[in-house]
Amino acid sequence: MARHGSRGRLLLRCYPATWRRRYGDELLDLLSEDPLTARVVVDVAATGLALRLRAARAALQGDTVMTIRPAWRHPTAFAVIGALLILPTFLFVAASLLSYELGFTAIREAVAPIQATITSVRAFDLFLVLAPALAALAAIAPLLRLGWERREGTLQAVLTVRALAFNLAVGILAIALGGVLIWHIVVESVLQAGA
Amino acid sequence: MAEPAPTTDPGLLLMISLASGPKHGHAMLLDIADFAGVRLGPGTLYGALSRLEDEGHVAPLPNEGRRRPYRLTPGGRRALERRLGGLNRAVRTGLQRVGA
Repeated sequence: MARHGSRGRLLLRCYPATWRRRYGDELLDLLSEDPLTARVVVDVAATGLALRLRAARAALQGDTVMTIRPAWRHPTAFAVIGALLILPTFLFVAASLLSYELGFTAIREAVAPIQATITSVRAFDLFLVLAPALAALAAIAPLLRLGWERREGTLQAVLTVRALAFNLAVGILAIALGGVLIWHIVVESVLQAGA
Repeated sequence: MAEPAPTTDPGLLLMISLASGPKHGHAMLLDIADFAGVRLGPGTLYGALSRLEDEGHVAPLPNEGRRRPYRLTPGGRRALERRLGGLNRAVRTGLQRVGA
């Protein structure tokens, strides 16, 4: 059964959750009988996606309930990913504030070469700017669940929001950090234009 | 030249396989490859199997170790007979028209 272990379970993610609960173990057992060739991978993934489409169509027709809940089951893991994403930007902004705004010359001398390297490589620069947005998305996505269900003959969207302290803290920090960066970029642009 | 498969409809092939008795997934794949020359993928097989179970044409039996066999229900057998009867009429008509 464990022959294709994690790859088999990854393929099962293509299938609707209710289907996985009912047939998942049986399909994994069948997959363990033969090599996991490209043909088998395509067949299993394509069937899973077709079943997801069928489930979505049934939900839109009001036969079943459909929910979209990105990362709902792993909120802490996604918050940690968000925290790791903003860490480099946080360190960069904190070092800049301490050295240039608050005048800690020792820090300025230590971080100046690193900052010069980072800002000279476009990919690093871009990552530092985009990281807060990605981190906010990773931290906040597990807090949202969107469902469609038919009530009294009409299709209705139901949005559920939950509050989890760690996710909220990372999300708010990421948004604040993104705000500081944008403010810094705008101010710098205005100053450069004025000069 | 290899003989063409009589049908590639996985649901029909699966019901024909189960018409000879209960089988688990791997036994169905081997049987279908044997009588129809069609190699169904595991996803295709279980996609068809779940649809047929929803329709009440097949039913699961208690697990045999790690494997779960399935059987054709009486309703599934009647549906298979109707389907094969329709195909049989089409085949007879086709053969008459080509003069075989």
